[in-house]
Amino acid sequence: MKVVPSRSSDWVRPVTSQKPASAIIEIDRVSQVFQTSARNDHLALSDISLTIEEGAFVSILGPSGCGKSTLLYIVGGFVSPTSGAAKMKGQAITGPGPDRGPVFQEFALFPWKTVLGNVMYGPRQQGVSATEADAQSRALIEMVGLKGYENFYPKELSGGMKQRVALARTLAYHPEVLLMDEPFGALDAHTRTRLQNDLLNIWERDRKTVLFVTHSVDEAVFLSDKVVMMSKSPGRIREVIDIDLPRPRRRNELLLDPRYQKYVVDIERMFDESDHAGSLL
Amino acid sequence: MISPAAVARRAAPVLACIGLLAAWQVASLGLKNDSFPTALEAIRAVPDILGDKESLINILASLRRMAIGFGIAVLVSIPLGLLMGRSRAVASFFNPLLMVIYPVPKAALMPIIMLWLGVGEATKILVIFLGVSLPVIYHSFEGAKAVEEKMLWSGAAMGLSALQRLVRIVLPAALPEILTGCRTGLVLALITMITSEMIARQSGAGNILFNALDMGQYDTVYAMIIVVGAMGICLDAVFERVRAGLVRWSEPQFDMPLSFS
Ligand SMILES: Nc1ncnc2c1ncn2[C@@H]1O[C@H](COP(=O)(O)OP(=O)(O)O)[C@@H](O)[C@H]1O
Ligand SMILES: [Mg+2]
Repeated sequence: MKVVPSRSSDWVRPVTSQKPASAIIEIDRVSQVFQTSARNDHLALSDISLTIEEGAFVSILGPSGCGKSTLLYIVGGFVSPTSGAAKMKGQAITGPGPDRGPVFQEFALFPWKTVLGNVMYGPRQQGVSATEADAQSRALIEMVGLKGYENFYPKELSGGMKQRVALARTLAYHPEVLLMDEPFGALDAHTRTRLQNDLLNIWERDRKTVLFVTHSVDEAVFLSDKVVMMSKSPGRIREVIDIDLPRPRRRNELLLDPRYQKYVVDIERMFDESDHAGSLL
Repeated sequence: MISPAAVARRAAPVLACIGLLAAWQVASLGLKNDSFPTALEAIRAVPDILGDKESLINILASLRRMAIGFGIAVLVSIPLGLLMGRSRAVASFFNPLLMVIYPVPKAALMPIIMLWLGVGEATKILVIFLGVSLPVIYHSFEGAKAVEEKMLWSGAAMGLSALQRLVRIVLPAALPEILTGCRTGLVLALITMITSEMIARQSGAGNILFNALDMGQYDTVYAMIIVVGAMGICLDAVFERVRAGLVRWSEPQFDMPLSFS
C-alpha cells in the first residue's frame, strides 16, 4: 500500500499545480461482499487501497460490474464496507455528508422542484438565507449553461440539461469532493462531449477534488490527473496511471496530442490483456 | 380557443348522464311499476329534499362525518404507508394486520363496532375511517417504496436527517401515488358513509334514503340516489382539481422545449 505523508509539504502533485497537495480521501483495504442469495456471497471489491490528493481529478475506470459504483458509494457514505475503512481528511466516513457531493448517472433530481428549487435545496438546508441562496443558485445555473430555465421542472428538460442541473445542485452546497458516478453515461455522444468540456472548464476554475467513475477510456484520460484502472471479479485496483497532460485542456488540441493518444491506446491495451487473462481462466 | 376535441371531451359525461336518464325514463314507463318512478318524477323530487331544512341538516351531518372520517384516515394512513414503504421492519409488522382487515367489508364490522361505541357518530366515523385507510395506506406504501434511492442519497448528502428525508423527499416524491389512493378513499368514504347510516339509522343522507324506502316514497328514494350520486361526482371533481394542481410537475402534459444538451 502506498502511504502518502500527512504533512502536505512532503509531497508535490506531479503535473499541473505547484501547490503542495495532501491526502483528502484515504481508502484503506476496503472489501465489499454482497450476499446474492442464501448460499452465495459475491466479492464485489477486494482489498482496495487508494489515496486521493486534494484538488486532484481522479477517474476510476473499469468494466461494468467491477465495483466502481460501490467504491464511490463507500466514499459517499451511502454504503458501509464489509471490511476496511474510508477516511475523509483523516476522519472515518460513517455516513453521507455535505463535504462529499454526489452526482449520479440517474440525475436523481427532485421532480417536484423547479431547476432553481433543486439548486437552492442544498444551500437552504445548510441555512443560507433565501435571497442569498437564490442569487447563488441563479449564478450557478448560468454557469452550467441553463440560464432561462430556472423555472422549468425536471420533466421538461433533456437528459443533458438534467445532468447540468444535478451538477449545479451539488456544487451549490460547496462539497469539498465531487463524487461522480458515470454522470454522462446516459447521454448521447454529442451531449456527453459537451458536458465533458463544460465540466473541465468549471473544474479548472476552482479545482475541487473529483472522484469520477467511468467506463470510457477517452473520458478518463481527457478529464483526469490520475486514472485508477480496476479489474473485475473480484474488483481490484489493477493499475494507477498519472495522466501527465497540460492544463487547461482543450479537446481539439488534446485529441491531436500524441501523448493523449498514447495514454488511450496503452490503457485500452491493458484492458484487452486482462480480458484475455480472464478468458483463459 | 377550445378545440372540437376538447368540446367533445367536456360534453361526453353530460351526454352519458342524459343517456342514462333517458334509458331510465323509458324503462320505468315500460315497466309501469309503482316502486320504480320515472327519471322525471325522481328529478322533480330533488328540490323538495334540498328545500327541506330537516333533510339538509341530515345531508350536512353526513358530509361532516365523511369529512372527519376521511380526514383522520388520511392523516394516519399517509405517514403509516410512507413508513411501511421505507422500512422493512414497519412493513412486516403492519402487513399481516392489514391483510386481515383488507378483504372484510367494513360495513360488516359495524354491528361489532356498535357494541363498543353505540350507534352515534363515533361508530360511523370509525367505519368511514376504516374504509378510507386501506387504499390510502396501500398507495402511500407503493409510492414510498418506488422513491428512487439516489434521490434520498442526494438529500442525505445535503444533510437531511432520516425524518427530514421522509417528510421532504419521500412525501412529495410519492404524492402522485398518494393522491391516487386518496381519490379512491374519497369514493369509499361516500359509500361507507351511506352504508353506515343504513345500518345505524339515526340521521344523515342514508337515513333519509332508507326511511323513504320503508315508507314507500319511491320518488324520494330515487331522488336521494341522484343527490348522493351528484355529491360523489362533485367531490371527485373538486378533488381531481386539487390533485392536478398539486402534482402538475409529474404529469406528462408539458410541451418539451426544443432539444438542448
Ligand atoms: N446492493 C447490492 N446487492 C448485491 N449485489 C450488488 C449490490 N450492488 C452491487 N452489487 C454487485 O456488485 C458488483 C459491482 O457493482 P457496481 O459497483 O455497481 O459495479 P460498476 O459500477 O463497476 O458497474 C456487481 O456484480 C453487482 O451486481
Ligand atoms: Mg456503476
